Amino acid sequence: MKRFTTIVLTLLLVTVSVSAFADDAGDAGKSLSVRTFQFKFKKAENAAAVIKPMMSAEGSISIKASGNSLVVTDLPENMKKIAAALADFDKEAQPFRLSVRLVSAGRGADNEGRVPSELRDVAPKLAMLRFNVLDAIGNAEVMGKEGEPGQIDLNGYRADFKFGAYDPASDSINLVDFKLSRLEADQLAPMYKTTLNLKLGQTVVMGATRPQGNRALMIVFTAKR
Amino acid sequence: MMSCDTFRNTFHAATEDPALLAHLRTCDRCLDFAANVDPDVMFRALGGEDLVPPGGVEAFVDDVMRQVRVRGAENVVTAPRPVSWTRRLAVAASFAVTVTAATFVYRSDVSKVTMAPIARAQIKAQTLTTKPIVETYESDKATIVEVPADPNDTVKIVMVFDENLPADL
Repeated sequence: MKRFTTIVLTLLLVTVSVSAFADDAGDAGKSLSVRTFQFKFKKAENAAAVIKPMMSAEGSISIKASGNSLVVTDLPENMKKIAAALADFDKEAQPFRLSVRLVSAGRGADNEGRVPSELRDVAPKLAMLRFNVLDAIGNAEVMGKEGEPGQIDLNGYRADFKFGAYDPASDSINLVDFKLSRLEADQLAPMYKTTLNLKLGQTVVMGATRPQGNRALMIVFTAKR
Repeated sequence: MMSCDTFRNTFHAATEDPALLAHLRTCDRCLDFAANVDPDVMFRALGGEDLVPPGGVEAFVDDVMRQVRVRGAENVVTAPRPVSWTRRLAVAASFAVTVTAATFVYRSDVSKVTMAPIARAQIKAQTLTTKPIVETYESDKATIVEVPADPNDTVKIVMVFDENLPADL
């Protein structure tokens, strides 16, 4: 009887061990790993935006602004890809070239339409908005790295801005606090201030007009590496 | 020897006639007839005057009760033995092993299934997201309209209608 009891108890012990192993194995399938990433060149919140689409349903991101770091919790398999993406993201500020053309646009009769040669690439699109009288006020090109300020003077207009962060997810650069001013009686009068996302290689026309107005001030942006 | 006709003519209920009762012991047909007339006649025909068992009624009752006790004891002895606690423990352990193994297999399958969303998330990350051209605009009296265009269009137009802009644009 004692031998039988011993066998049964041993069996029970094995059962408990196997059960615990099964639990561990089940948990291992869902176990999460935690890793802290510190950034030298880029901001942690921008990095969070980059990896957000890569996160699994179980994952989470915590931004530590004081140390410019991210605490990422996710599945181990996913963590490798996140680490690779963040390493690729945290590189030295990239240089960009911004081309800016300032255009005065108006609506005229069909026989009054005129388009300078340097605006032929955007003229068909502006014609869809019935702006067929185009006058080039000026154009400029400026180079800058992420985080650097920029300034453009264009025949009585001035634009102040800052090159923001490049977003690989949308392949666009952020043009932060683009402030357009006009020189009036030797003084710069602010017109508007905006922050834009410019996709690299794409021509973006930003037109500003009063409601029901027949004239608009167009700024044609093209951002490239 | 009495004939059956004579028996049937002379037989009546509660008869004690030895000749009639003797005929009953030899003739089944007349026994049926007599049982229909008097059901107790069969017992009288057996010689029922000596109804006291040998040794007396009390001895007979004691004997019957002893038999009952012996049968009861036999039933107790031959009753199926209850399953011992060790055997029950063994059965429970076997059951636990089976359930654990099944759970382990099930969880393995579940962990394989939960990998699928991760794969989908990775695919999603590779596609480019689209951001609005105008992220912020510093005026509360402005309407911003992004002119629809094909995703592959190289020229995109966004119009800002702002009452605060100067009239002589």
